[in-house]
Amino acid sequence: MNWVQDMSAPASSTAEIDWEEKRYLIIDDFVGIRQLLRESLRNLGAKHIDQASSGGEAMVLLAKTRYDVVLCDYNLGDGKNGQQVLEEARIRNLMLPSSVWLMVSAEKSVESVMGAAEHQPDAYIIKPITEGVLLTRLNRVWLKKQIFADIDQAFADKDYLRAARLCAEQVEHNPLHAIDLLRMRATLLLKAGDPDGAGAVYEQVLQEREYNWARCGLGKIRMGDGDLDAARLMFQAVITDNRFYIDAFDQLAQSFLLQGKTEEAFDVLQKAAKLSPNSVPRQRSLGQTALKLGNIPVAERAFRKCIEIGEFSVLKTVDAYLGLARVCGQKNDTKEAIRLLNAAVHQFGGDQVALRAKITEGLVYHESGDFRRARKSGDELEAMLADESRQRPDTGTCLDMATLLFAVGVKEAPVNLLAYVTRNNHDNEPLLEDVQKIFDKARMSEEGEELIKTARKEAADLMNKGVLLWKGGKLTEAVEWMRVAREQLPHNMRILFNSAQILISTLQQNGYVKELADEAIGVLMHVDAIAPGQQRFALLMEQLAMLAPVSGVVAAAAASEYEAANGPVPESTRWSGD
Amino acid sequence: MDEQEAPQAEGSPELSMFLASIAHDMKNSVSVLSGTLENLLSTQQVPDSLASTEYGKMAQMLYQTRRLNDNLIQLLALYKEVGKPGYPFDQAPRSITELVEQAAGQARVLLMSHKITLDVDFPRNAIWTLDEDLIIGVLVHAINNAIRYTHDRIRLSVKIDGDYLEIRVEDNGAGFPQMLLDMGAPSARRSSVDFLSNSSGLGLYFSSEVARMHKHRERTGSIALENGGTLGGGCFILRLP
Repeated sequence: MNWVQDMSAPASSTAEIDWEEKRYLIIDDFVGIRQLLRESLRNLGAKHIDQASSGGEAMVLLAKTRYDVVLCDYNLGDGKNGQQVLEEARIRNLMLPSSVWLMVSAEKSVESVMGAAEHQPDAYIIKPITEGVLLTRLNRVWLKKQIFADIDQAFADKDYLRAARLCAEQVEHNPLHAIDLLRMRATLLLKAGDPDGAGAVYEQVLQEREYNWARCGLGKIRMGDGDLDAARLMFQAVITDNRFYIDAFDQLAQSFLLQGKTEEAFDVLQKAAKLSPNSVPRQRSLGQTALKLGNIPVAERAFRKCIEIGEFSVLKTVDAYLGLARVCGQKNDTKEAIRLLNAAVHQFGGDQVALRAKITEGLVYHESGDFRRARKSGDELEAMLADESRQRPDTGTCLDMATLLFAVGVKEAPVNLLAYVTRNNHDNEPLLEDVQKIFDKARMSEEGEELIKTARKEAADLMNKGVLLWKGGKLTEAVEWMRVAREQLPHNMRILFNSAQILISTLQQNGYVKELADEAIGVLMHVDAIAPGQQRFALLMEQLAMLAPVSGVVAAAAASEYEAANGPVPESTRWSGD
Repeated sequence: MDEQEAPQAEGSPELSMFLASIAHDMKNSVSVLSGTLENLLSTQQVPDSLASTEYGKMAQMLYQTRRLNDNLIQLLALYKEVGKPGYPFDQAPRSITELVEQAAGQARVLLMSHKITLDVDFPRNAIWTLDEDLIIGVLVHAINNAIRYTHDRIRLSVKIDGDYLEIRVEDNGAGFPQMLLDMGAPSARRSSVDFLSNSSGLGLYFSSEVARMHKHRERTGSIALENGGTLGGGCFILRLP
């Protein structure tokens, strides 16, 4: 006899999904639960089920097999927790785009509604798990993955405008996922450098319900527009409504920092770190803000916590070691500071880390009054910079380094460094003001002004020559010239964008050539890595995709080549399933 | 909105970590207990008479385990301050079909082992914005409660009534005692804390807090108890904006 009788009018049944042949992984430290889940999966017809009792064991299995479904308990006892297993699996690319990750927890997890966790599972399930709930959630997530498949592909290819259009098309056909599609569309428009479009989507969503992510999204757009007070009010309203919406705290702190209100930002970050302490980026911000304010005890605690939680996380950061070394320096424990810097170089490796560790070493000696050793660090830095084979560091590190070198009395190296920064950012006015300030501090105001003028002209000339060749129809020469320009100024956005534009025009006029297309992709991936969210990036990617089928493989390969050559790309540009 | 800004979140983090890990452990034990009982019960034939058979005793054990689980869910939600701004409230558009499927699925073995039929009636393609886990918790609790008082039939029905979604859990038993009806009467405008004056009040308190968290354009969710309804017995009503 059937104990559940359905009196409703029958409806067309959705297509059944075959769960029998899928590969499953159960991760739980409690043997009773593993057996129960296995039983439930078998009842759904599953044949291939693996089990792991810890995060470490899970990583071994995940590296060997591409699972279709992972059921992972959040709480795994000692070692990695479920979120860290998920992060590592995603970042190491151990999951197929179609695989489903279900996070199991004993109670409603704060993480599920915090808004900003970079690597969200596909769904959360609260214990006890019954077969009905499991099947319903599996089906739902699977169907959602189908709906998002093309969008995700376009996202992976970084063709954000196409992905955003696909979202809009899907909304009509999928009322159940309309809100998720709109959320994705707004994220994509932001990545494509269209904050107005994204804002309109958030407004539309807020007509339906007061979703905190939409309110936060609007706040971020206001912040980007420089309307910091409006942004602050929006974040504060979200926090009043939901005290666990951590993303709003982080954004609020950011808006204070942009207003130069370091103390207010510090208070907010402290509250956020108390509510949700296990975030590497948050503890890092707290530590750095505390250091700025000279609050050594809090800075120390934050950096130590950052190192502790980073131990099992792929998000672990060298910043925590460098920050803690500064803390030790301020406590006059230079010995411990140097030990930490050596540990950082040893653990993270690479030229960038070596340079940054050396800068920090100089700062530590300088701040503790040991000017002789500080000067020695400066001389060593100068020698490292002189080595042409080494990659120059990012802009922020260059500025730090120039500041330090001036402070310890080195002259020529920081001047060259600042000229390099200027040539690479020749139309970035706020940054050039910072450069001038560093010259002012070194009592070199006039020399600095002259130098900035010359460097800007050099960069502009370099670029203009390429553009003139292009406009004169000499495409091959233009492409060739821009290669030279790129090599000399690898971080200059205008040169990079024009370079990609000239390559794409060549393809449009002379027909598709794979090598040139790959070159353009490489240039654009590099741009997106150093300055994500540019409108011109999105437009050029779209033009490129229209020329020929740009497969995700090509884009991903180019991006990873870039990563391999230059170290990790910023977090914000990494793929996230948000 | 809420005048209490943050004080209760500031308690000892060690203690709250400890409590969270104990709760996790208890949930695991109850899950294994109820899962094992369900597996045992569903592999056996339902006997003609439940009284004093081993099957009947097992069915009773499952019922008690489910009560334990319900109470645990509700206590945890209260500990996390359901109803307050600090609760990780997670509303999203959900399919009503899936909601009913999940609630009925959780009750299936328990109903079968008690020889109770569950009628379901709901609009197939309807979508409503709600916190799915909390609402399933409320419905499963209402069904478990009805199992205790019904004769042999329970009805779970959903309909869209103007700006509200109305979900009813009805049975064909003797109905709620007057005291509970008074407590559940929406016109009484009492604070939901009043439910806690009664031993069976935890579930009602939990349900009313969950209902209250659902807000949309000045409208707020609510619960009510009645006698009568389609099956003539007790009737639990949840209304969500």
